[in-house]
Amino acid sequence: MNWKDWQIKKLTLGDPGFPRNLTKIKNPPKQIYFRGNFEERVLDKSIAIVGSRQVTAYGREVIDHFVSLFVTDGVTTISGFMYGVDTQVHKKTVEFGGVTIAIFGCGVNICYPVENNNLYTEILEKGGAVISEYPPDSKPQLWKYPQRNRLVAGLASLGVLVIEAGEKSGSLITADFARRQGKKVFAVPGPVTSKVSSGTNTLLKKRRAILVTDPSDILRTKTVRGKSKIPNDLSDIETKIYKALEFEPLSTDEIALAISGSVVEVSKNVSVMALRGYITEALGKFHLVRS
Amino acid sequence: MLTKILSAAHFGLKTIPVEVEVNIASKGFPGFNIIGLPSKAVEEARERVKTALVNSNIKFPEAKITVNLAPADIPKEGSNYDLPIAVGILNALEVVALPEEKSYFFGELSLDGTLRHTKGVFLLAISAKENKIKNLFVPTDSANEAAVIKSLNVYPVTSLNDLVMHLNSTKVIAKTKYVEAQDLLEEAPVEFDFSEIIGQESAKRALEIACAGGHNLFMQGPPGAGKTMLARAIPGILPPLSEDESLEVTKIYSLTGNIPPGGSLIRVRPFRVCHHTVSKIGLVGGGSDPHPGEISLAHNGVLFLDEFPEFPRSTLEALRQPLEDGIVSIARAAGSVKFPANFMLVAAANPCPCGYLGDPRRECRCSPRQIMNYQNRLSGPLMDRIDIHLNVPTVDVEKLAAMSKVKTTAEKSASIRERVIKAREIQLKRFSKDGIYNNASMKNKHIKKYCEMADDAQLLLKQAVNNYSLSARTYFRLIKVSRTIADIAGDAKITSSHIAESLQYRIRTQNKFF
Repeated sequence: MNWKDWQIKKLTLGDPGFPRNLTKIKNPPKQIYFRGNFEERVLDKSIAIVGSRQVTAYGREVIDHFVSLFVTDGVTTISGFMYGVDTQVHKKTVEFGGVTIAIFGCGVNICYPVENNNLYTEILEKGGAVISEYPPDSKPQLWKYPQRNRLVAGLASLGVLVIEAGEKSGSLITADFARRQGKKVFAVPGPVTSKVSSGTNTLLKKRRAILVTDPSDILRTKTVRGKSKIPNDLSDIETKIYKALEFEPLSTDEIALAISGSVVEVSKNVSVMALRGYITEALGKFHLVRS
Repeated sequence: MLTKILSAAHFGLKTIPVEVEVNIASKGFPGFNIIGLPSKAVEEARERVKTALVNSNIKFPEAKITVNLAPADIPKEGSNYDLPIAVGILNALEVVALPEEKSYFFGELSLDGTLRHTKGVFLLAISAKENKIKNLFVPTDSANEAAVIKSLNVYPVTSLNDLVMHLNSTKVIAKTKYVEAQDLLEEAPVEFDFSEIIGQESAKRALEIACAGGHNLFMQGPPGAGKTMLARAIPGILPPLSEDESLEVTKIYSLTGNIPPGGSLIRVRPFRVCHHTVSKIGLVGGGSDPHPGEISLAHNGVLFLDEFPEFPRSTLEALRQPLEDGIVSIARAAGSVKFPANFMLVAAANPCPCGYLGDPRRECRCSPRQIMNYQNRLSGPLMDRIDIHLNVPTVDVEKLAAMSKVKTTAEKSASIRERVIKAREIQLKRFSKDGIYNNASMKNKHIKKYCEMADDAQLLLKQAVNNYSLSARTYFRLIKVSRTIADIAGDAKITSSHIAESLQYRIRTQNKFF
């Protein structure tokens, strides 16, 4: 099935089904167009996750961890369908079997960016929705995106979580909307050396966001992530590699240095570990898969 | 009086004997004409020959001279007909007598009557042997090329006067001595030694494997990571050319005039570097008179393409067929020509237009769309033909400094080369009856025959194919690379650990960054 097979529905401000969250914000949309499942129930426990158009490996790891626990907890994720963090959030939610809502800055008949064509369909298939306040065939235009951000912030019941935002990121606008709407703003701190975390770090420094390091900080549940346990079916050298990767993602060369082994030995073992699902690789570095 | 001299024309790597017929008519208006589809260079032989004869104190006849290059319907290129035309005129004038045995005359004349280095002498010598022509008169500077072919009389000619004296038996030219090809093979000079490159151990290992098996290699990494330096260090670990390989390479180099004056066999494995402004014909070969391109000049050696995505798409796609077949065939109206192009492709690229995608220290300034467009310039089918994919990350400057203070233990090129040579010897032995030289050239039938895998290796490979959804071509490439890794280790059977290592060099589906 293709996303075009889903029917477009329209709700006007004042209609019974119109999301309550959106009526509460200043300057609410006069109408919304949407495809998919868009009920109050889905929005009851929802969080907006926004961030940079460029995700680093660190950001990806953070999204992985947060989204997996949100999905387990039945939290709906909301984001803007843009490149980077947005897409990653939608993708991961769908992958973990959760419900996610994408808010478009264009009409819902236009899939922008086009690379996310399949993602559009997957979101609908998993019971999520795609929403826009613009008529279905409206083109994506730059000015529409900040406007869109007020809906992203407005729809979320739990608040807005910022993961990786640069100094001038649009996610900061979303955070701003959330604050003005009286919603909570959460931010995950990033490396102080990273340009794509400078925005989030500034938010935290100026106390405009609540520092979170784990989904439990938002969900007020017990910390799930305990001390990471080293799987016991690893060989000696695999254990060494695993331990080295607990601190930070490393390249083959760096692992070899850390465990004082040869690159040949390391290459062999990381291949097997990756196939067994303990580690993954992104941009030449190996990351632990924490489950 | 009519006289006939033997010479040769090259069409691609084929050499066709050409008869140079010279007629000096006693009647008719004085003139000098060349017929038989001469090119501009051949036309101009008239002026060179005339002046050279005059400057050698030989009176140029005032008569109607007609030169016919037979067969008349094949286009003739090049300056090598100067000598046979001059000798023909001399013979027609009865200044010299021709040798009794069939002889090839081949070479370009200088205006002062001396002979210049001429391209294609090596091919001429091969053709002489095939056509059972005993004597070769070639320029002195080019005589060494012919000297590696056995049982030929190669006469190095320095000037027209020398040749006149020789042919009249007043002063005989000493034959160039036959040289065993084996005696000429020697070491390559190297630009960088691997021990000078600090860090990048896994990249070095990948290069070792690539050179050991002749595998194509693709390096991706930010600017300044050392991709170019690594590539330039490759000649230092390449195995020497075998005799057969050297002969193949020399043919192409002789044809294109890439052998320096006095040079003989090409002894060093070619390492060709191409800038991305290269034209398609410059890269793969072609032209109305088909000429080998860079890929053929890199035959049995390495072709290094830096800034890989900057090459025009159509140029890169033209590499696909030669990468697969090791041969490039160029069809033209005049006929089709095949050039060998069994090269090892080494390509380097930045991960994005600005170069810093994934760099831990610097921010990438590219938009996702830009990055995608950049990476999409390299088509899937092309990248699928590359055996080894490698990520070359930036080396930490602090670590670099610390490591260079502590005495570096980095391995020297020479010792890596020893392992490469050993692995190649195993391969040469294995493929002695198959007409290929290395693992990279294996076709599927060879893989079936020579790549015996342990059970756990099979299992691991299957698992990898499923997990990473690898294409059938990638599957076979992985086996080839594993075969090479096993050869370096000296193992007869491919084990799971060889497969595991080769998996590190597999093609990655598009870098994930969105």
